[in-house]
Amino acid sequence: MHYKVTHVTQYDYSDTVGLSYNEARLMPRNCVNQQVISSTLNVEPYAADFRIREDFFGNRVAYFSIQQPHHVFTVTAVSEVQLMENTSQLDFYQGFAWETVREMLSQQHSHYLKQASDLIEARQYTLDSPLIETSLQLAEYAKPSFTQGRSVTDTVNDLMQRIYRDFTFDPDFTTLATPLASVLEHRRGVCQDFAHLAIGCLRSQGLAARYVSGYIETLPPQGEEKLVGADASHAWFSVYIPEQGWLDFDPTNNIIPNTQHITLGWGRDYGDIAPLKGVIFGGQNHELEVSVQVECLTN
Amino acid sequence: MSTLSQYSNTAEDSAWLKGVAGYTPEANIVDEMLDSTGKVRPHWEYFIQALQKLGHDEIRLRQNEILKLLRENGVTYNVYGDPDGSNRPWQLDPVPLLIENDEWTNIETGLLERAELLNLILADIYGPRELIQKGLLPVDLLFSHSGFLRACDKVKIPGKHQLVLYAADLARGPDNRMWVIGDRTQAPSGAGYALENRLAMSRVFPNIFRDSRVQRLDGFFQSLRNALQQIAPQNADTPRVVVLTPGPFNETFFEHAYLASHLGYPLVQGDDLTVRDGFVWLKSLNGLQRVDVIMRRVDDSFCDPLELREDSRLGVPGLLEVARRGNVTIANPLGSGVLESPGLLPFLPKIAEHFFGKQLRLPSAATWWCGQAKELNYVLSNLHKLVIKHICRGSMTSVFGHLLSQQQIIGLRDRIRSNPALFVGQAHESFSTAPSFVAGHLEPRQALLRCFLVAQGQGYSLMPGSLTRSAAQQGNVPVSNQMGAISKDTWVIGGQNPNQANTIETPHSKLLASNYTSTLSSRVAENLFWVGRYAERTEGSIRLLRTTVKKLYINPDINNPYYKNSLYAVLRGLTNITNTYPGFLNKESDSLLKTPDSELLSLMLDEEKVGSIANNQRSLIQAGYSVRNLWSSDTWRVMDEIKCHLERSQQLTESTLWNIQEHMDRLITALSAFSGLIMESMTRGNGWLFLDMGRRLERALLLISLLRSGFSSAQAEGTEILLMESLLDTSDNLICYRQHYRNSIELPSFIELLILDKNNPRSLAYQFNRIQEHVSKMPRKQTNTQLSIEERLILEANSLLDLTNLSDLIKVSDGNVREKFDQTLSRLYYLLATLSDTVTATYFQHGQPQHSLVAVKPA
Repeated sequence: MHYKVTHVTQYDYSDTVGLSYNEARLMPRNCVNQQVISSTLNVEPYAADFRIREDFFGNRVAYFSIQQPHHVFTVTAVSEVQLMENTSQLDFYQGFAWETVREMLSQQHSHYLKQASDLIEARQYTLDSPLIETSLQLAEYAKPSFTQGRSVTDTVNDLMQRIYRDFTFDPDFTTLATPLASVLEHRRGVCQDFAHLAIGCLRSQGLAARYVSGYIETLPPQGEEKLVGADASHAWFSVYIPEQGWLDFDPTNNIIPNTQHITLGWGRDYGDIAPLKGVIFGGQNHELEVSVQVECLTN
Repeated sequence: MSTLSQYSNTAEDSAWLKGVAGYTPEANIVDEMLDSTGKVRPHWEYFIQALQKLGHDEIRLRQNEILKLLRENGVTYNVYGDPDGSNRPWQLDPVPLLIENDEWTNIETGLLERAELLNLILADIYGPRELIQKGLLPVDLLFSHSGFLRACDKVKIPGKHQLVLYAADLARGPDNRMWVIGDRTQAPSGAGYALENRLAMSRVFPNIFRDSRVQRLDGFFQSLRNALQQIAPQNADTPRVVVLTPGPFNETFFEHAYLASHLGYPLVQGDDLTVRDGFVWLKSLNGLQRVDVIMRRVDDSFCDPLELREDSRLGVPGLLEVARRGNVTIANPLGSGVLESPGLLPFLPKIAEHFFGKQLRLPSAATWWCGQAKELNYVLSNLHKLVIKHICRGSMTSVFGHLLSQQQIIGLRDRIRSNPALFVGQAHESFSTAPSFVAGHLEPRQALLRCFLVAQGQGYSLMPGSLTRSAAQQGNVPVSNQMGAISKDTWVIGGQNPNQANTIETPHSKLLASNYTSTLSSRVAENLFWVGRYAERTEGSIRLLRTTVKKLYINPDINNPYYKNSLYAVLRGLTNITNTYPGFLNKESDSLLKTPDSELLSLMLDEEKVGSIANNQRSLIQAGYSVRNLWSSDTWRVMDEIKCHLERSQQLTESTLWNIQEHMDRLITALSAFSGLIMESMTRGNGWLFLDMGRRLERALLLISLLRSGFSSAQAEGTEILLMESLLDTSDNLICYRQHYRNSIELPSFIELLILDKNNPRSLAYQFNRIQEHVSKMPRKQTNTQLSIEERLILEANSLLDLTNLSDLIKVSDGNVREKFDQTLSRLYYLLATLSDTVTATYFQHGQPQHSLVAVKPA
């Protein structure tokens, strides 16, 4: 599948901004089933300093600064990617039991060398991160999915289904500052909350999970249900499964992403992969407008 | 005096000797001075004999001398949560810690080796992370540490070392060996205090110091200077180094200022710097100037709100990106704080073996990291005898297991279990004691040494000495500055130190100035401008207040029929120049005029009353403190005196106008000394220019207010004469007037002297001329053909005065108003106020407020 994503973010300030420093993680990275064909980032007004690098997690980051007074600030990211369909049938009932995976992750070095470095890499995603702190409550919520000897894929899939069932999608309930505990208590939130929640549950059981930032294709409403998260940034999570690598799950839509999810990048939680951050001088109040368009160019 | 002290010496000597004999370290604890048989160790002999010779009265005198010296030099340590919110004076024990050269050499070898090791670990952690791949460092230990900053990955600084500055806390264990009990790798503090301690000791005990053959410290600071030059980015010819401080409220701000001035670098705060075009710049009076090296005293995560803590207001947005490109070098590099983790300690021996093929010479405190099952079990079942620490310093204060109740032990156990990788247990050792001079005798107190190293050239250099801190109480207690520990100088005795000289260490204050004139930051210039204004404002109002009190109580001229009205005029003048309306200008009631005492007292003493003398004094001290590195030690001493006056005045209970007179006189003297020192000892660079500009502007503004208040409406001649007399007295012009005019006081001569006379340093015309001179020398003058706004304003003010006709000025029109007089002065006031605003807008920081962009939540 060939996609074109256009993501425009615009800030309108009530007062002049003299200086602006930013980091954008809006350019997709290559990954197992995704090939980036092209990607451009356009900043208005002119960014006097602009540089792209790879961050700690291997994501593409654009650093830029605007050094002229301005009232409107626009970032436009346009990318084309090719998604390869994963045709191999996922077998939920084969493979490692989740306890075995936990064991492997906690004893990275006792395993044969080939896997050790993958396990070491994965191990960091079992730890608490700034926005996801494991707790007894999370562990308790996770528990029913983690039955004895259950295969890890089946376990995670079950957890995803439960979150989808138990939680209500409610864009008005949470903000960026809403703690995970409150999402769990009220059973409401948006994709970011559900991804964080699932990650917290998995880490509370000793598994490695990371946060994925990206987009999802909107399907035409031909009597079909419209997928939530369309025309906005989307987020889901990914779990490390030994010998297979990282497997994505989208708890907001209760699906295992295949050819509809375009990945920008990943990190421990949202904080590592926020699409756009910045520090500005001046500006006072602002109005913010975001538009995301995902077009399928195949067919 | 000599007979008295000789007399008391004979009486006290035996008692004092007994005191040393009564110095009894605890059994089983090593003592630095006495060996296990109770004999004084050889390297202490000379010092102890010398102390005995002095006698304890003399030691006490010298102890006071030390305190006075430290206080006058402004050596302070801010204690958070102190009710006074004040700068606590630094405490220094008159008994130093003595270390013999052979042992020191051993410590040095051990510390150099440890510094190299930590440097290799730092380079690996933010580089290939082979230590993790090889299983020498657990993933969880590094990746759960909040000081491991992923944004700093792969950022390297030039030169052989990533760890530029390093400090180690040492203590002697029960096995008689020196142990490293803590590492400081982020922005180690204390070297400046160590130097200040040394200066005080060598001044107060010059003979003992000279004869003890103590190794000198100044070589270390030269090494530090070299190190900072060496790490500059490749393309910097003459690198500009700055010292970055969080500001005057930081606990060790004194040291930041002290080191900056000692090393000769500008002291800057985050908003003095800005990132443009991929470089870091200092916002100076002359525009932006590139910065090559930043010696930072701001914690890692506060340095860049873009990539690190977004709520930080102490950093510079974009700084990390500039460092990443190698366009600025930060020492220590951001992210180095992770090395302070006590969780590293148990892994050091194996890592040392890996890198060096041998064990570390100096052992670390025995430590168990709870991220491993066996160690966790050990710690959980031995909580009562361990010290529990969080791996991130500052996340939790150390917990001493033996002080906990059963209930607390259970709570702690749960806390550790919930995230074991974040905790370590450490053996709770009894460290050695050293003699402290407490309440007139020597007492054994536990002592810790903080040693300082800097990387330069091929290796590290160690300061031959340290900052020693001894416990606030006897016995086995934690030693920390925040908990009132007392510092000691550390004397390394003997050895072949080539730098050794039998002189007192060179004082530092002369190093000042020249460096600063070229890179005076806008913030510093603004503070100096306000120092000038507040100093003048305080002095002007207190002088008038003193005149008032004189008029009221000392020689009230009650037989003069105009006395009362002239007194009222002075009182109204006071309200006018201090801007404390309504005050004596209250139109509703004139009762205040009749019983002015309480209002006058609050004008003097009420620190919270805006415009009061105490309030101005406080503002003066604050502005002065934030640029303290610019003052000579004499000037600082006077500044300190002004501060003492304020503190004392706030403690006056039942103050009356009568008993604050002496206080007023002293304050006036201190303020005059301050102006005098500035005139006489401050280099005439941009700093002085802005300070004097502030002073002149303020003096002119005060005088205009006062004159308008007194003479814009004409009063009875008798009243005006008395009023003029008071004002001449206030401005120290009475004698001058009498010599000059040799007649009774008349308005024309009065106005001539106070407004028009270009030679009277208190006249308006004089201030205008000075301001005009300053304005012509201000930096950033655009062109020679066009006048700047500042120049236009002062030119207009000066011409207005020049063209003024004296007889027009004093003419009284209908309704008893001196119209021309009031118009002229009011225009002059406007011109000066506008000039002040223009200077502020052109030269000072008036940066826009910093915000974080609000992000969009993915849905």
